[in-house]
Amino acid sequence: MSTDAKPRHAIGHAIKRKEDPRFVQGKGHYVDDVTLPGMLYLSLVRSPYPHAEIKRIDISDALKIPGVKAVITGADLEAAGLGWLPTFHGFDKQMVLAIGKVLFQYQEVAAVFAETRAAAADGAEAVQVEYEPLPAVSDPFTAKKDEVILRPDREAKTNHIFHWEVGDRDGADRALEKSARRVKQRIWFQRCHPAPLEPCACVAHFDTMGRLQFHVTSQAPHVYRTALAIVTGIPEDKIHVMAPDIGGGFGNKVPVYPGYVCAIVGALKLGRPVKWVETRTENLTSTGFARDYHMDVELGASPDGRLTAMKVSTTADHGAFDAAADPTKYPAGMFGIVTGSYQVPVAHAEVDAYFTNKAPGGIAYRCSFRVTEASYAIERAMDILADDLGIDAAELRRRNFIAKDQFPYASALGFTYDSGDYEQTLTKALETIGYQDLLKEQAEKRARGELMGIGLSTFTEVVGAGPSKHFDILGIKMFDSAEIRIHPTGAGIVRTGTKSQGQGHETTWAQIVAEELGLDPQTIMVEEGDTDTAPYGLGTYASRSTPTAGAAIAMAARRIREKARKIAAHLLEVGEGDVEWKDYKFQITGVPTKSVTMKEVAFAAYTNPGQNEPGLEATHYYDPPNMTFPSGAYVAVVDIDRETGEVKVRRFLAVDDCGTVINPLVVEGQIHGGLTEGFAIAFMQEIQYDHEGNNLNTNFTDYLIPTALETPHWETAKTVTPSPHHPIGAKGVGESPNVGSPAAFVNAVIDALSPLGVRHIDMPITRDKVWRAIRGAQAVSVG
Amino acid sequence: MKLEYSGKEQIPANIETVWAFVTDPQKVGRCLPELLELAVQDATHFDAVVRVGVGPVRGKFRFKVELQPNTEARRMNLKISGGGLGSAVDLTAGADVIDAGAGTTTLSWDGTALMRGPVATVGGRVLDAQAQKLISQTFANVRDALSCVT
Repeated sequence: MSTDAKPRHAIGHAIKRKEDPRFVQGKGHYVDDVTLPGMLYLSLVRSPYPHAEIKRIDISDALKIPGVKAVITGADLEAAGLGWLPTFHGFDKQMVLAIGKVLFQYQEVAAVFAETRAAAADGAEAVQVEYEPLPAVSDPFTAKKDEVILRPDREAKTNHIFHWEVGDRDGADRALEKSARRVKQRIWFQRCHPAPLEPCACVAHFDTMGRLQFHVTSQAPHVYRTALAIVTGIPEDKIHVMAPDIGGGFGNKVPVYPGYVCAIVGALKLGRPVKWVETRTENLTSTGFARDYHMDVELGASPDGRLTAMKVSTTADHGAFDAAADPTKYPAGMFGIVTGSYQVPVAHAEVDAYFTNKAPGGIAYRCSFRVTEASYAIERAMDILADDLGIDAAELRRRNFIAKDQFPYASALGFTYDSGDYEQTLTKALETIGYQDLLKEQAEKRARGELMGIGLSTFTEVVGAGPSKHFDILGIKMFDSAEIRIHPTGAGIVRTGTKSQGQGHETTWAQIVAEELGLDPQTIMVEEGDTDTAPYGLGTYASRSTPTAGAAIAMAARRIREKARKIAAHLLEVGEGDVEWKDYKFQITGVPTKSVTMKEVAFAAYTNPGQNEPGLEATHYYDPPNMTFPSGAYVAVVDIDRETGEVKVRRFLAVDDCGTVINPLVVEGQIHGGLTEGFAIAFMQEIQYDHEGNNLNTNFTDYLIPTALETPHWETAKTVTPSPHHPIGAKGVGESPNVGSPAAFVNAVIDALSPLGVRHIDMPITRDKVWRAIRGAQAVSVG
Repeated sequence: MKLEYSGKEQIPANIETVWAFVTDPQKVGRCLPELLELAVQDATHFDAVVRVGVGPVRGKFRFKVELQPNTEARRMNLKISGGGLGSAVDLTAGADVIDAGAGTTTLSWDGTALMRGPVATVGGRVLDAQAQKLISQTFANVRDALSCVT
């Protein structure tokens, strides 16, 4: 009998990602790699107008293009009962192809199917659409006036979509009235876009049994299957969704898009497979954008900086359809996390959302449903308050942190935070970065007129949606699932309802199994994304995979361990009650020399199970009892060139607390990626629309992705405060850096400019905005 | 993206000749630069296909043109709408035809272009110069055509 100890590659080990060899060798398998015999290509005709009536669509010239097989329009789809697509939270619907009028520039108007990609594009160009332009509404404040009603198809003749609020409005008002100090700021989190390098794509094919075989870049393949069944009327057993490797999702690949429906209709109508792969411009202009929240934030405080109250009133731009993929009960997502890491005695938050002639979305871009907006609002507001009070920004945060012994902590806006040690995380960050030395350096530089800034962000997220009593999408509860099969040799396979798009599940899921069962993670295969084989789950977004599916894996593994205990008892020839799981093996209680490994038990499960049921597998559907609350303390140090407005990020330190760390290498990779996105949002990215509703950032020359040249060097560290309710104490980390970093960057820039009297600049903080702020301040001081 | 332009052309022809020219869809239609096809519908309407190149956007644009002559005021307004390559262009132009004496005429023109789609974005950096060239070239072509006649 063996005496193996903890497997080398279980939880906590920085093993290299099992999936990477195929990616770095160019052997990943993406949707565009799927080629089927007789496959046609789909190209979409899109509207150049942001708001216009469609007077006429002439497809005759398109049908003359060699290779073009068919053209369908909104009228064709409407006649087939497929004109509209429900949005994911179920309160709105979206045109598949425009019916009667277009509501945003680049909206889908007609679908062209052809033998080649080029012929499909030529066919789309040859479709002639006559439009009668209508006045465009390109901001929510104009929309609010209801002078032009954008959605006459809806019962309520208003551009107002919803009002959502949480907290104690009157209490917050009273507390603010009594507060010794109050600060208020309009903070806009600009419209940005996840811009995954692989755009949206699908291949739709009806096999010889009439079953839809659907290859798609989806973060939530099971939800897609259900949604497609609802939209198309195809029975769900006749739909097989397969999500192969995905080249980035970041929330962009959660919604179901019109192109997918068109591809399926084309495959059905023409009896041939249809491939649709977006162009970069199509991805940036028509698929789910993120943010676009105008937030009026107000904080009240005592003279010594203790928070007394908070109010946030937000005007949200949702675009032409309310397609934000939020859980049904949370139209403004988890925006209630806006009180952040702080003890706020009374608070109120409200969100009013409006239709505009812009692309629909409001998706959770590397964020758990509006958490990024909320974190940015409170972290900016805390710096504004610190500046107003003349208190050091770190000290103000310390005075207001929820203390370690206050958890579980019931926030003023309804969340019960599971655990945290914000003081420890901040202390580690300040010591690591050398905060006191930086303050000294800054004072010296300020005396010389140089602009140096230090920015903090001590954020708390709420992730892992979510408990079934609160969270659903299209009515489906937001549990997740895992199925584990251990083979006779001790190798095995794990399948979950999630779908990795770079999160490293093939490695980390295997490590959880290794930890729970004492097996080698290199021999545990992970398979996701195939709805025929994986158990049903809600997918990967909102940092939910580890809190839900990761928990389900641990629980399923523990079920396997319980069955394995019976077989171990049989092998050790003792009663089950005399067997304990210790040091990653079964042993007779108190007799370590009498033991069997899980590998030995696995072989016996198929060869010598005794009186026990053969086989070694289990499934678990995990309904989390609460959300998890990762946190972090980030510090940015910037230098600004007074003459050019150029901001240089000299240092950036991220100290994250995501609870138990499954794989430090994977966590570090996630943080590097998220910080780079946060940097891009803070300094480079905005989807802008002009007054006529033109989208001005339609490609990567106008919507910038940072390269290695621009990206700062990232420093990382961690503290570990496990989640008390998660089976392995993990909280999730994929989104923390994107959530936490924008405020640190902006706070650093404003800190640098504060001697000039600059109080706030909206992102992206481009060098011309900084230059103008410097010049504006100088003009005021001269005047 | 909204763009506004204006300019003047001195034409060595008398006002009646110029007026007759600019109110003739066959003649004025041929003054569009890079014209590929012209189909006159009636006395005040014609369709045109022109070749365009704005930055990386290159291809054909189809336009519907409506002439709106005001004989009394000797002003010709043009409404041009159309586009291509997923873009839309709505252009309004006007020309005052003014007797400049000695058998010559001044064409005083102005135009407003409203661009939407890739033309307004991809080509945004060079659009202004291109659009101005398109409009000014049209009126320059009117001048050249009439100069040949005389």
